[in-house]
Amino acid sequence: MSDDPALHSRRPLTLRFDIPISRTREFWDGLRDGRFITTKCKNCGNVSFPPQADCPNCMKGEFEWVDLGRDAKLLTFTYVQVTPASFVENDPYIIAIGELAKGLKVLAWLEGIGPEDAKLGMAMRIEFRASKEGNPYYVFVKA
Amino acid sequence: MTRVAIVGVGHSKFGKRTDVNVAELAFESIKQAVEDAKVDRKEIGNVVVGSAGGWYEESLPAVIVNEYAGLNSVGTMRVEAACASGSAAVKAAYNSIVSGETDVAMAVGVEKMTEVDTLTSVELIGRAGSYMWEFENFGMTFPAYYALYAVAHMNRFGTKEEDMSRVAVKAHHYGAMNPLAQFQKEITLEKALGSQVVSWPLKLYDACPLTDGSAAVILASEEAAKKLTDTPVWIRGVGYSSDSANLSRRNDYVGLEATVAAAKRAYAMAKVAPGDVDVATAHDCFTIAELMAYEDLGFCKKGEGAKMVREGQTEVGGKIPVNLDGGLKAKGHPIGATGVSMAVEITKQLRGEAGPHQAPIRNGVGLVHNVGGTGHYAYVTILSRS
Repeated sequence: MSDDPALHSRRPLTLRFDIPISRTREFWDGLRDGRFITTKCKNCGNVSFPPQADCPNCMKGEFEWVDLGRDAKLLTFTYVQVTPASFVENDPYIIAIGELAKGLKVLAWLEGIGPEDAKLGMAMRIEFRASKEGNPYYVFVKA
Repeated sequence: MTRVAIVGVGHSKFGKRTDVNVAELAFESIKQAVEDAKVDRKEIGNVVVGSAGGWYEESLPAVIVNEYAGLNSVGTMRVEAACASGSAAVKAAYNSIVSGETDVAMAVGVEKMTEVDTLTSVELIGRAGSYMWEFENFGMTFPAYYALYAVAHMNRFGTKEEDMSRVAVKAHHYGAMNPLAQFQKEITLEKALGSQVVSWPLKLYDACPLTDGSAAVILASEEAAKKLTDTPVWIRGVGYSSDSANLSRRNDYVGLEATVAAAKRAYAMAKVAPGDVDVATAHDCFTIAELMAYEDLGFCKKGEGAKMVREGQTEVGGKIPVNLDGGLKAKGHPIGATGVSMAVEITKQLRGEAGPHQAPIRNGVGLVHNVGGTGHYAYVTILSRS
């Protein structure tokens, strides 16, 4: 703490967001059902990850859901030891970027191994988890 | 289209500034810039404030800053381009002169990052990407973003942790010559290499600090500049670009495509080549970012950034001196102020007023490279004595 005089403002601002997911709801439902799916534009065929209802390529809004499979290759990673305020209760974690069989990339935690065992190019698999609030999410594990 | 010159500069002491609030901090730079330009405040038609905000109590920094500085009923806005907010402010001020709206404009960058606790700051910066897909479930941090690039760069080009540490040693060497820098102390390679791991492979000494600070530049049209000063520094080129919010949508992780695109545009507009640049600031929020910047700005070939720092090519006496003010690493990185601070530094270099860390000026050309986020935004500004 500094010795400089300060007005200790203590009016807490708590941020709780209700983030709309109605347009990509199938993705989140898919995670609960053990499926990793995303949007494919019916007009131009563009496949997006993260999923989005409106095509960033042709701007059309007609899409279908396609299964991305669960296999990935490790492109890069980091081992986060200083975590943000809202993750202080977590142990250090590995954040990885993996390339899926179809060429799309995904960013997620890599669980189950230590950073010394993470090798670029190694095979990984997507698995499904639920947050303590009950929200579904996905992680990589070593294949 | 009128040419635009920087005719006045101001820069606060960077660091943990518990002695001032955000308006008082901005005022330090504004006062200096107004006095340096010898301009009547009434002539300033537009004040653009670059500030990311969120870590200090005020939500509308532009009006808070203007009120405190007696800039009444002036055209104003606050701009955000993450850590490139300062360059975005300079660009917006520049535009208002080029368009003929005003003959004199000011860009002010200010950030007050230490009024909240450190982990809250870490969180706010970590959310600066794609909150939904990178933060909510995976707790991204700013060091983690750049660490993903560092690992890929190390793997592809053989860049070593020591090479990154060398960037920190260089930054502290020059920071020790800058009385406005947050850290004015030399460090050893061993100290940098042995520092606490933040997000492997990045360590404490690979990372810029959390900083309070401000900077200001006053810009003028060619006609107004000629009346105000004998030492105008001209804005010859401005290039800017962006990249995906999600890192998963990037093509590769060994350089910032936004920097490459911004630099290409700025060089073309200024009609200069990388080899013409006498002195540069490169956005070194992390040491790996500076190495990638050497490559992306065309100071060397892709993959040779580490070689540049090993050979001392970016020190005074080398091929192109970079970050002689200590860079973000040692000078500090008050997010919204950084781009303006860089413009101040290069203006001083081109005027020959940089003091102990003055670079030799041959062509009279300097370059400002300012990145927002992890190459989410990039601005390259080329300044020239002629």
